[in-house]
Amino acid sequence: MTRREWIAAVAAAPLLRAAEAPVAPVSIAKCASYDEDVTARLGVMFDQLGGLGKLMANKTVTIKLNMTGSPGQRVEGRPPGNTHFVHPKVVGAVAYHLGRAGAKRIRFVESPWATAGPLEDTVLDSGWNLRAIQSAAAGVEWENTNALGKGKAYARFPVPGSPYMYPAFDLNHAYQDTDVFVSLAKLKNHDICGVTLSLKNCFGALPASIYGDNAGVDAPNEKPDSGREAVGHRGRRQPSKSAPQELHFGAEHEPGYRVPRIVADLAVARPIHLAIIDGVESIAGGEGPWISGIRIVKPGVLIAGLNPVCTDAVATAVMGYDPRAPRGAKPFPHADNTLWLAEQHGVGAADLKRIEVTGAAIRDVVYRFDA
Amino acid sequence: MRAPTACWVAVLGLLLPLYASVPKPAGWVPARWPWSDESSLDLLAGGPINCLLLTEYTPEFVAAAANRGVATLAILTPGPEALAAARRALAAKVTGIALEGDFPEGVVAAVKEAAGGAAVVEIASRSRMLAVSNGPLLATYQGVWPGVSVEENGGRRAGPSGSAWIDTNTGFIRAVRAWSDAPLWLANQPPAKTVVAASRYLEAIADAEASGARWVVTLDEDFAARLGRREARAVEAWRRMLAMLGYFEGHPEWRAMREYGQLALVQDIAKGGLVSGGILDMLAVKHTPVRPIAPDRLNAAALKDATMAVNVDAGALTPEEMEILRAFTRGGGALLTGPPGWKDQKPEGDRITLDKAELERLGDIWRDVNSMVGRRNLGVRLFNVSSMLSNMLVSGDGQTAILHLVNYSDYPVENVTAQFPTGYKRATLLTPDGTEKALEIYKTEEGWATDIDKIAVCATVRLEQQ
Repeated sequence: MTRREWIAAVAAAPLLRAAEAPVAPVSIAKCASYDEDVTARLGVMFDQLGGLGKLMANKTVTIKLNMTGSPGQRVEGRPPGNTHFVHPKVVGAVAYHLGRAGAKRIRFVESPWATAGPLEDTVLDSGWNLRAIQSAAAGVEWENTNALGKGKAYARFPVPGSPYMYPAFDLNHAYQDTDVFVSLAKLKNHDICGVTLSLKNCFGALPASIYGDNAGVDAPNEKPDSGREAVGHRGRRQPSKSAPQELHFGAEHEPGYRVPRIVADLAVARPIHLAIIDGVESIAGGEGPWISGIRIVKPGVLIAGLNPVCTDAVATAVMGYDPRAPRGAKPFPHADNTLWLAEQHGVGAADLKRIEVTGAAIRDVVYRFDA
Repeated sequence: MRAPTACWVAVLGLLLPLYASVPKPAGWVPARWPWSDESSLDLLAGGPINCLLLTEYTPEFVAAAANRGVATLAILTPGPEALAAARRALAAKVTGIALEGDFPEGVVAAVKEAAGGAAVVEIASRSRMLAVSNGPLLATYQGVWPGVSVEENGGRRAGPSGSAWIDTNTGFIRAVRAWSDAPLWLANQPPAKTVVAASRYLEAIADAEASGARWVVTLDEDFAARLGRREARAVEAWRRMLAMLGYFEGHPEWRAMREYGQLALVQDIAKGGLVSGGILDMLAVKHTPVRPIAPDRLNAAALKDATMAVNVDAGALTPEEMEILRAFTRGGGALLTGPPGWKDQKPEGDRITLDKAELERLGDIWRDVNSMVGRRNLGVRLFNVSSMLSNMLVSGDGQTAILHLVNYSDYPVENVTAQFPTGYKRATLLTPDGTEKALEIYKTEEGWATDIDKIAVCATVRLEQQ
């Protein structure tokens, strides 16, 4: 048995969990453009999920945005919200509904590319109207989670059960100092993982101060200025020693093996309570303008659900793929299936037969990203 | 016999427009003129172009231009016939001679002698322009064609600052203007064998004008032919170019303003400037307001309100100049000095961009500059401007500041935010289409800010303390 086979065998141990993985309904709404009433569409979707009142009332809510890459990098010069970032209108509408549902504090978080500066700077650099989002609800805050940010210490998130890659993660305090965690993602392909949806969005929760290419060796580097290629994608180095170290360091360097497993570990370590996917306008063929061959697409759809695996499974189907496709089949030609790995962790079911879809039917909104 | 009064009035009426309205060189707004028919002068109507650079012309055309108050310069290029060509041009009554290229000193002297009182403008290489700067204005044929740098595969090139790299002449222009008060012309031509979109001409104009220089309007062959035939789209593009020129020429006070920024860059472009010009370009891409200072103009007043200074080539400064910088640091200013052995090199030959080794050295000092500047607000911080460059100027009394914004992408930029450490009473948005709109100034955690909804190619924010 090779070391890789041994790791795979160990990782496959919780197979039994697949059958008992939880499910939750997923809502789909057609939304042809951001000029439509995005707020109304989302309102109907949240009602279809049973309403947000119980989940949000008097709670602190942390929302992980998807703002991957430098805001200066654009697809054909277009605003990033129309291509590879979540759109600011969706962000504002979500804040409005969460505030209306009683959330007392709404904290938007992201670990933007190569900076530990205020998230507001990145938001403004992305052409978002900061003041409009700020006024969409009471108690809106912003936190860059690439480093300590406004916190005094990192929060540790153990991976329960049998972790694939890390026994625990050290993240910015915002991921702990919250009652509710929301992943607000974009409907996109990913160069490595095939799709990047609500689960993969949370890969960006890893602080570059600890998991970045220039993270400190012993302690976090509070001024990170690079991505997570060396630690996360390639396993060329361990994270800062202050954080839990990779379990089988050196055993596997292939990004298609590593990234989906790190994402699955994160999904069980930092559970997602509400997954929202912006598929109104997006890109196909990759996750950002740095991927060659990407193209602009307009799927015209919004997807939301109370379980991230179920929500991502439905979103993957909307993109024209089989959410349980094995490695080698589209959309996972070079990577293991993140949804399946998360399912094995018991996060949620990726089996469409078990998932209740409300609102629009999948067949009515399918937009083939490989077309 | 005395002529009747009415007759003299009539004669003066003819003469005055001929002589009184031909502008001085400092006021020349130049264009290379590919036509020599008098009707082509109608294209100038409604615009500020008042100086034509000619390769082919007739005495009648020159006279017709003069009648309209338009100066004419005959373009001569290096060659054995240069002096004879200059004499022929002067015989045709052109306003002056433009020597384009690097001429032998003897020829330049002979042309100037032949010209008598007529202007002789040398449009030279950058290095010669800096070495011989005794004409009525400074002019160079060397410049980059402004725009977002595009690679062969169509992708946008990113520079060391992480943003899309913008090819620009602003670093060079600002360095020259810090060194000399003479008007500066950039006479670089559109890229050969390339169809140039109208927006690129607007960018070329704004790239130069926003930093206080003038681009010598030069049309590509295709555009010139279409404009010559008065094709509607070409005429419309030409009108937009005239409007862009008119926008800047309509605000002569901007040209008198000085560069504003709490970061000072000490550089002597006459001794080099290639590296420090590169730093200026990188600071421009990062939208950090900076004031370049030539060593011979380095004094306490020049450093007033500055909090940081970069001295690239310490070896180039005199002891007195070094003492001024030491006094600056004693007063609390932060000074970044290039490592020993650094030379702010002079461009060699036709080269105006850095080679690989120089880029690596620029990268070294850029890391230090970037680290020192951080995200401090040194006059203005701009957001959502990755395809734009900016230039902040301030009036002599410090009461009015101007923020020029030039967009180099093919798309309008929306939702630009400008944050200021200073609380201005009024902010007004000005655009080349004649818009003049009050902007709301609001308080932020770190100062004040204003938002601009949309910028096509160029816009200016006027900030007033009173």
